[in-house]
Amino acid sequence: MIQFKNVSKKYDNGTHALKDINLTIEKGEFVFVVGSSGAGKSTFLKLMMREEVPSSGTIVVDDIDLTKIKKRDIPKFRRRLGIVFQDFRLIPNMTVFDNVAFAMRVIGTKEKKIGRRVPYVLSLMGLNEKARNFPQELSGGEQQRVALARALANNADIIIADEPTGNVDPQMSYEIVDLLMRLNEAGTTVIMVTHEHSLVRCFDKRVIILDKGNVVSDGGSLVREAATSHINPVSEIEHRYDVPPEEDYSAYTQGTSAQAEEFAVTGGAE
Amino acid sequence: MGNLRYLTKEGFRNLKVNKLMSVASVTVLFSCLMLIGIAFMILVNIQSFISGIEAENVIMVYADLDASDYEYMALGNELNALDNITSVEAVEKEAAYEEILAEMDENLRIYLSGLDENPLPDAYRVTVTDMSRFENVVNEIKKLDGIERVYENSSLAKQLEGIRDSVTYISLGIIILLLIVSLFIISNTIKVTMFSRRLEISIMKSVGATNSFIRWPFMVEGIIIGVIAGILATGAVWAVYEFALTSFTSVLTGLGSGVQVSFLDYALYLVAAFVGIGIFTGIFGSATSIRKYLKERKFVELED
Ligand SMILES: Nc1ncnc2c1ncn2[C@@H]1O[C@H](COP(=O)(O)OP(=O)(O)OP(=O)(O)O)[C@@H](O)[C@H]1O
Ligand SMILES: [Mg+2]
Repeated sequence: MIQFKNVSKKYDNGTHALKDINLTIEKGEFVFVVGSSGAGKSTFLKLMMREEVPSSGTIVVDDIDLTKIKKRDIPKFRRRLGIVFQDFRLIPNMTVFDNVAFAMRVIGTKEKKIGRRVPYVLSLMGLNEKARNFPQELSGGEQQRVALARALANNADIIIADEPTGNVDPQMSYEIVDLLMRLNEAGTTVIMVTHEHSLVRCFDKRVIILDKGNVVSDGGSLVREAATSHINPVSEIEHRYDVPPEEDYSAYTQGTSAQAEEFAVTGGAE
Repeated sequence: MGNLRYLTKEGFRNLKVNKLMSVASVTVLFSCLMLIGIAFMILVNIQSFISGIEAENVIMVYADLDASDYEYMALGNELNALDNITSVEAVEKEAAYEEILAEMDENLRIYLSGLDENPLPDAYRVTVTDMSRFENVVNEIKKLDGIERVYENSSLAKQLEGIRDSVTYISLGIIILLLIVSLFIISNTIKVTMFSRRLEISIMKSVGATNSFIRWPFMVEGIIIGVIAGILATGAVWAVYEFALTSFTSVLTGLGSGVQVSFLDYALYLVAAFVGIGIFTGIFGSATSIRKYLKERKFVELED
């Protein structure tokens, strides 16, 4: 469970990135976080992973109060999360394989297990052929998928993904969300930030909309919103996306749950 | 622990990946250590030169040039009868002459062998037991008959003793200064390395690596750099020292000391010290300079 209570974040330069946020994300939930650029989405996630600290308020993740956590407990806390960073954060002098493996080595996984698991998560992302390449040799979309593979490597309880589909084509975007969805079905909490409302619409999940540091809407899936309401809080933003959702994503809306099971069984590091 | 093996391997890999930085660090450390080593060898030589002279608790007693064999033997007996004497050794002029010739330069030898007569007197080499009564013995000997000359080093040794102390302090000062300079340069080199890799460090942190997990490869790197620089520096000091010995050997023997310090007597200490310094600076340099990049943000509630 992730709980934000009266959380505000003001950066040192005076930017008020989040204002009095109150919300709870239950264990096993799937949440989209949307909002325009600069709305505070990344800040929201950074607070959740204890990369930033709030200026006031409290954040509790699985009974750990992030404002009170001891420094030496932070690494252990972060290992519960599978994080896809907006800027990928791949280690430049490590190969794709080692970047993914690193997240597993950090938690002390045996090399033998790493040797089995890494190729598997890379194959999920269609990256097997790039295993020996270095990040700068990859396209933006490929780097993004490596970042995602790394986040999946440890079978984390919570996946926090900051625009994991920002650099890939619509089909790949759909497949990525579909994969996250299947992980979610297997019990993983997923928090995914995205710009793409068209994508969000394909999935009937909770959507938190941030605007200028405030939560302007929380709860309704955009599927329902679109169906039941004339007031679409994001209609204005949505126009900027040149991919009409129905045409690009509807074809992919059938995921196979067999794959999800396989993913969970092939197993991560416990 | 498999993890330790991985982290060590990672240290080696980092060295290879950051080739330029590794070479720079080794070079810097190597230069500093070499200077320290050279200063040390100079100190050791001066020390040994002076104590070599001091340790010559030997009095050369030269018999009169025209003394007969009988007179020469009588002198020997008288010397033996003196107090505080460990040994009296006869140095017959033929033997002494041969010895000197053997040590001499080729040209000089040819010139000297042209002389008909041995220019040296017969002599006795007297060794003193108690150095504090050295002067007494010398005075006793001087009272004996049939002596051409008494030769001893004590006054020179006394003068040199004062010089030795100041030389020791000055060299130690120089060595310490060089050490401080090295530490300074090395820690700066490491700081630059860390700075260039701060991104890598922050990424490691963000996927949940503990500080020690991040630090270990850096330390391995530091240790390897230290070991390589230490071994290279020892080799370099050796080479420089041997070169200096062959160039200055004639000067040193001219000063009256045939005692040369062999580098190999000190090689082990130097390697140990250098590798030790290298490892120390590697570990502490990386441990302290990485701290900055391992910091976590602190939660401080602000009043709004
Ligand atoms: N480290 C920082 N220091 C100061 N201001 C920051 C910092 N990070 C973000 N901000 C500011 O905080 C606000 C919210 O930033 P944030 O990165 O959370 O936006 P975002 O919703 O993720 O935007 P985008 O969709 O472009 O990624 C912005 O105005 C941004 O300029
Ligand atoms: Mg962002």
